[in-house]
Amino acid sequence: MNFTVDTAAESYAEVKGAGRLNMVSAAKLREVVSDVVAGGSNHVVINMAEMDFMDSSGLGALIGCLKIARQAGGDLRIANVQSQVKMVLELTNMNRVLTPYDNVEAAFADV
Amino acid sequence: MSEIIGHSSRQGPAIPEIIDELHADLDSLWAKASFVPEMDQMAFTTAVIEAATNVVQHATPASDAQLQLGVDITIWPRRLQATVSEIGAAASRPDLDGASSPDQDIEAESGRGLALIRALVSTVTFERHGDTNVWTLCKESPQAQR
Repeated sequence: MNFTVDTAAESYAEVKGAGRLNMVSAAKLREVVSDVVAGGSNHVVINMAEMDFMDSSGLGALIGCLKIARQAGGDLRIANVQSQVKMVLELTNMNRVLTPYDNVEAAFADV
Repeated sequence: MSEIIGHSSRQGPAIPEIIDELHADLDSLWAKASFVPEMDQMAFTTAVIEAATNVVQHATPASDAQLQLGVDITIWPRRLQATVSEIGAAASRPDLDGASSPDQDIEAESGRGLALIRALVSTVTFERHGDTNVWTLCKESPQAQR
């Protein structure tokens, strides 16, 4: 999976990818978010509109990315979550930590 | 015994690329078995991929020979079943009964796979057959009928 980064918004950076978030793409996502945060954007939204599958490795990567953003004094949020990803978040209770937002703009509306 | 509605079988080296091939197998099966409710398709697919990924990431070969992954999926009316085989693997014993979401450390980045599999299917067993560790995942799907 290839990820694109959009820093046009003032209060957050958007990371977007298409395909499956699994053991292969998980490492890549960590790398991308790590670079985004190192570049000075510590509020990150993962736009999951085109990520139609996530396994526990992908979930682990999201949690790792959340920690990277928080350690830099920011936060990481997820938006446009598809049904399979929502199911995995709910079954693992990780929707308590990674709350899905309806769209990218809503994710950091409070910042 | 009820009529088998769909079946797929794959065996190959336990490397990450085989997971994409497995996704394609499952997509073809669901195309033939669209009467299986979408939520059941999604849960079963996730469990099979999770178990296969676990083999690729964690199974240890018993010898110098490359570890093989074998996946057989069978769809019956009202029942979905997969056997996921670690062929040539050292004997192991995943703690399926003790598997639970790591609530103690909500920010743990790994260790959720087995609990997720258990939550997604009706039964999971793990057995040793010769030089092979075999996972059997079974999901009852009461609405899955033609």
